[in-house]
Amino acid sequence: MTQMRLHLTFPEERVRDPIIYEICRKFPVVINIRRADISLDSGWVELEMDGELADIDRTVSYLRERGVHVDPLEKSILEG
Amino acid sequence: MNSPSAPHQESERTRAEGGNAPSSKESKIKGLKCRECGRLYPAVAIHICEFCFGPLEVDYDYAAIGRRISRSSIEGGPKSLWRYHELLPVTGEPTVGLHAGMTPLIHAKRLGKYLGLDNLYIKNDTVNHPTLSFKDRVVAVAMTRARELGFDTVACASTGNLANSVSAHAASSGMKCFVFIPHDLEAGKVLGNLIYNPTVVAVRGNYDDVNRLCSEIGGEYPWAFVNINIRPYYAEGSKSLAFETAEQLGWRIPDQVVVPIASGSLLTKIRKGFQEFEKLGLVAPNDRLTVNGAQAEGCSPVYRAFVSGKNHLIPVKPQTIAKSLAIGNPADGFYALEVVFKSKGAIAAATDPEIVEGMKLLAETEGVFAETAGGVTVASLKKLCEEGRIGRKDLTVAYITGNGLKTMEALAGALSEPISIDPTLASFRKTVNPSN
Repeated sequence: MTQMRLHLTFPEERVRDPIIYEICRKFPVVINIRRADISLDSGWVELEMDGELADIDRTVSYLRERGVHVDPLEKSILEG
Repeated sequence: MNSPSAPHQESERTRAEGGNAPSSKESKIKGLKCRECGRLYPAVAIHICEFCFGPLEVDYDYAAIGRRISRSSIEGGPKSLWRYHELLPVTGEPTVGLHAGMTPLIHAKRLGKYLGLDNLYIKNDTVNHPTLSFKDRVVAVAMTRARELGFDTVACASTGNLANSVSAHAASSGMKCFVFIPHDLEAGKVLGNLIYNPTVVAVRGNYDDVNRLCSEIGGEYPWAFVNINIRPYYAEGSKSLAFETAEQLGWRIPDQVVVPIASGSLLTKIRKGFQEFEKLGLVAPNDRLTVNGAQAEGCSPVYRAFVSGKNHLIPVKPQTIAKSLAIGNPADGFYALEVVFKSKGAIAAATDPEIVEGMKLLAETEGVFAETAGGVTVASLKKLCEEGRIGRKDLTVAYITGNGLKTMEALAGALSEPISIDPTLASFRKTVNPSN
């Protein structure tokens, strides 16, 4: 089992979609939301994701396909 | 991943947190404190609150510091950022980056005249030691703290100034060094690091892949990853820019500052540095201090949030010549925005052509050759003046954070060609005609 800590950013066109619910139904990962701020037109969620590495990778790919921006909790680490 | 740590207790730590327990000498550092929920932690190599995932910051004992620090104690210190060691998160003598900081504060009369400002100053970190950018400040502090915590290996993920500084300081201090870069980075950008002989790891993957790998490595390996597990200490080094500014202005806090925004940390720490000097009575409070930000339009998530009046940042894919500011999802963007809003400041953004014009303007008026980030700052300063946000009499400081020799490619085709003449006086007179 692996645990990832992720920062998800939801664009306006996705903020009303039940995407967290979707990934829990579609993939064998455990989601634990630790901090979030959602408004009518944008939002972010910080969560832990537990599961097999391959399942986490598939979940992250799905989130990106759905238009969610996925970063590590630290956000942009690569600096100029 | 990091294991949970109870507040201010010595629990079993992961190897990445550093093995040394806080000593009695750490009286000025009470520990680390979550910026969001206030939960306390020991001053080890951790950066995220295990309870709410908020960022951790150094928690100082200002009463103890106040009994030891004074203008004269600072003035009697070394001519480097270490003259402010009481307000930096290290417990012993500095061991890395002994010559970083104390860069010139230039009264920019010619640039000020062009912009309509009588009291404009440039904080010139283009001449910082040893790698010619403000990163020498944060890395000096991060690596001194890393050694105190028992690390012998330092790491970073960077394509530019940060990698330069970490590599150089690792070489001079004898620490092992790992630098992570995307595999398709131009060769020229790697050379400035290879000269210091770090281990450069080219990651086969895109920007997101590098980020994710580094996050995992930061939690797994017993390394001081300067902008991950050492970030609470690393970021504090930026305060020295505010300390120096206040001292060099004759122990005054300016009315306006203009600060480039990448991660957003620099802007928040400059504000914090001024606040600490006020709190300790080293300067008179200046309620007029207005904090302004500068971003490149091609990577401007904080600027866009400011313009929209919101506090949610939408990550972007950077597309700008200002590579040192190209952070698409800035870790401290929200906090930078908060500082700007609270101080009634503003954020401006500069296009790539405006960045080049900003670099040229600074060079032609003040003789300072800044990298593209400096062009962003000057172009944004110009816009803020044109919008009437900075007044003629305001005591204004603009922060120039890196040297132009590092971003020469940005000037390709932007400068006039040399005048070509025959080796004769007649040709010189005819072609150059200096009397005109």
